[in-house]
Amino acid sequence: MERCDVLVIGGGLLGCFAARALTAWNVSVRVLEAREDVCTGVSRANSGIVYAGYDTRPGTLKARMCVKACQDFPRLCDALGVRFFRCGSLMAAFGPTAERVLQKKLAQGRENGVAGLRLLSAGEAYTMEPKLGPGLTTALYAPGTGTVNPWELGIAAFENARDNGAAFCFSSPVQALRRAGDAYLAETPAESYAARVVINCAGLGADRVRELVFPPAWRIVPTAGDYLVLDDTVSGFVRHVVFHEPEEKGKGLTLIPTVDGNLLIGPTERLWNGSADWATAREGLESLAALCRTVVPGLPLTEVIRSFAALRPNPYAVREENGAWVPEHKSINGFAILEEDGLISLLGIKTPGLTCAAELGKYAAEKAVHLLGGPGRNSRFRPERTAPPAVRDMEEKRRAALTEACPEYGELVCRCREISRGEIMDAIRRGAATLDGVKRRTGAGMGRCQGGRCMRQVLEALAADRKLPPEKINRDGPDSPVVTGGYGAL
Amino acid sequence: MELYELLVVGGGAAGMAAAEAAARAGRSVLLAERESALGGILRQCVHRGFGRTVFGEEVSGQAFAEYWRRRVAQSKAKVLTDTSVISLSRDRTALLSGPTGLRRVRFGRCILSAGCYERTAESLPLAGTRPSGVYTAGTAQALMNLGHYRIGNRIVILGSGDVGQIMARQFVQAGLEVVCLVEQRGALGGLARNRRDCIEAYRIPVRLRATVEEIRGTGRLSGVVVRELDTGKREAVECDTLVTALGLIPDRTLCRAMKEEGRLPDWLRLCGNCDYVHDMVDSVIREASALGAEKGREWDN
Repeated sequence: MERCDVLVIGGGLLGCFAARALTAWNVSVRVLEAREDVCTGVSRANSGIVYAGYDTRPGTLKARMCVKACQDFPRLCDALGVRFFRCGSLMAAFGPTAERVLQKKLAQGRENGVAGLRLLSAGEAYTMEPKLGPGLTTALYAPGTGTVNPWELGIAAFENARDNGAAFCFSSPVQALRRAGDAYLAETPAESYAARVVINCAGLGADRVRELVFPPAWRIVPTAGDYLVLDDTVSGFVRHVVFHEPEEKGKGLTLIPTVDGNLLIGPTERLWNGSADWATAREGLESLAALCRTVVPGLPLTEVIRSFAALRPNPYAVREENGAWVPEHKSINGFAILEEDGLISLLGIKTPGLTCAAELGKYAAEKAVHLLGGPGRNSRFRPERTAPPAVRDMEEKRRAALTEACPEYGELVCRCREISRGEIMDAIRRGAATLDGVKRRTGAGMGRCQGGRCMRQVLEALAADRKLPPEKINRDGPDSPVVTGGYGAL
Repeated sequence: MELYELLVVGGGAAGMAAAEAAARAGRSVLLAERESALGGILRQCVHRGFGRTVFGEEVSGQAFAEYWRRRVAQSKAKVLTDTSVISLSRDRTALLSGPTGLRRVRFGRCILSAGCYERTAESLPLAGTRPSGVYTAGTAQALMNLGHYRIGNRIVILGSGDVGQIMARQFVQAGLEVVCLVEQRGALGGLARNRRDCIEAYRIPVRLRATVEEIRGTGRLSGVVVRELDTGKREAVECDTLVTALGLIPDRTLCRAMKEEGRLPDWLRLCGNCDYVHDMVDSVIREASALGAEKGREWDN
């Protein structure tokens, strides 16, 4: 039996930020993550947009948090050593229906206190984004919008929480949770844990975790969205995040210039079939390509290097009907946060969940600290994290000095994205357990060859570090071997 | 700063032949290769079929590479392995990164012989999940012949590029099952001799006018959905490995920033598969040797 003050269930963005916020206090923190690494659930795939805050209804916690979080984002990223690209955004209208939406968003944004928001004439919008297709009538400009790499952010929060004393347990799905006196007991296949407060950040499974203790109230009904990723050869094609607001009913197109120089296109929205994890849909990918042809007709879709699907954890209130729990007709718009008898549940945190992750973590941590009777501040807490070197972004002199001192940083393993052996080794030392764990930390395998060249070297580096045969090394998650047999297996 | 009359980027067949010819013609040459040994894609080719016009007989890619490695070693060309050229500049300097650190060199001319990268399944884009077990033919070849790994048991091949056909044969030779090769055109691509020696000789089941439209499986690949283009009929095919042979794209990343009005500067030339995809290594050698020795029209056109 392991004891701690606060148990965080789920090591996604929210769980990592909750843990980080908790370590600012004199409390012992443990995070239980079902998978082998952090940010492998809902956090693994999303737009990476830091929203300015004009999309949410005024007066809500979500609106307040989003506006504040967006303002504070550069500071947060500075502290965590994470790249942030404050590119601004244009919401583009091509007709009267969309214009009305923009008017509403403008009023909403002003009420929420979003700075610098204004409507652009078609001429101004085309000057800022010359590649937008014909017929644009007006655009809503939000200078505060930005983009961040969600993995980079989540992993930075994880490392900072760990450095400040939070314990992370991987491959530890919570199978049972119950109240026992003034504590909660949680059970994973390998171990039991006791904690006075539990923060439930279990993403898609947060409703199920809550229902281990309480009867159903809210359920998560995910929807899926498809994305295309374009190579960094199209870097600069659009310079802002572009939200295309469609004239007809249905989802528009979002174009997202990433911190890595790629262009993300998406998402679609469709019902999740629930069977296959993160599967893309043909119709979704085709509809994105079709939308591109009208919104950005010059975009070279030949530069697509990957497609992926994301899941939105939509929270629905449920009621009992003939012994079954039926969702009410509409998804809850705000953040669904429940505090029940020492169990704090962050349920169905969707857009702008990434933007608000640090704020939500702090919010949950403060609730937990209050429940614990106000422990003191942790005087040794350091909010700063030093990012490992990334040679590609380094100035030539510094890079020369680094490679002279450590030759590993001179040897490039991933050619597409210019990632050195030193960076691969840093990622493994810092906790990457799979090929995709290395990819999320370094970018190796995210270029046009999709890991074709670096796969073997990363595989062998992981196997050597873990002292495992190469066929035991997974690509992403359990039972995903990169190779099925080792030396001499032929 | 070190100065070379010729910088050759990439030490595959083209780079080795160009560097050797230039050194033999009395030029000072630097040949930079990002892998640990010269040879490029030849290093992972265990099959015969190389050098008929040079040797009068066909040898393996590995033997062919070894022959050229020796010729380069006997020349005065300076070779740096494990060394990547990160960038070229218009002032005719290049930034190199390797185990001895970062260095900038000056050069008179530059030959880019960086070969190709392969079109991937991910670029299609493909519907379905993202399990392990999806490789390009070249990656499968490197995993098997350089790493000596087993990559799977039941294999579907999508596309009929030459490397895919050659790998189909090697899979069968290695005791793996090739379920089928799926090609969207009405006939197989690649060289006639590969169709004969790899596909027909090893009785690889071929499905023409068909494509793989969905990937299935969490963790490891469990199957693909094959769609017949003419009938629209879909069929789930069980397999644990998908190998794609969708074609090669010259890797000209380095000269992207060098173009002026759509043209490369006079001091920069493409060579080998980086110029265009060749059928035979013999023609790569012939062109590269002429370019390295500054014979023929290549530098003057």
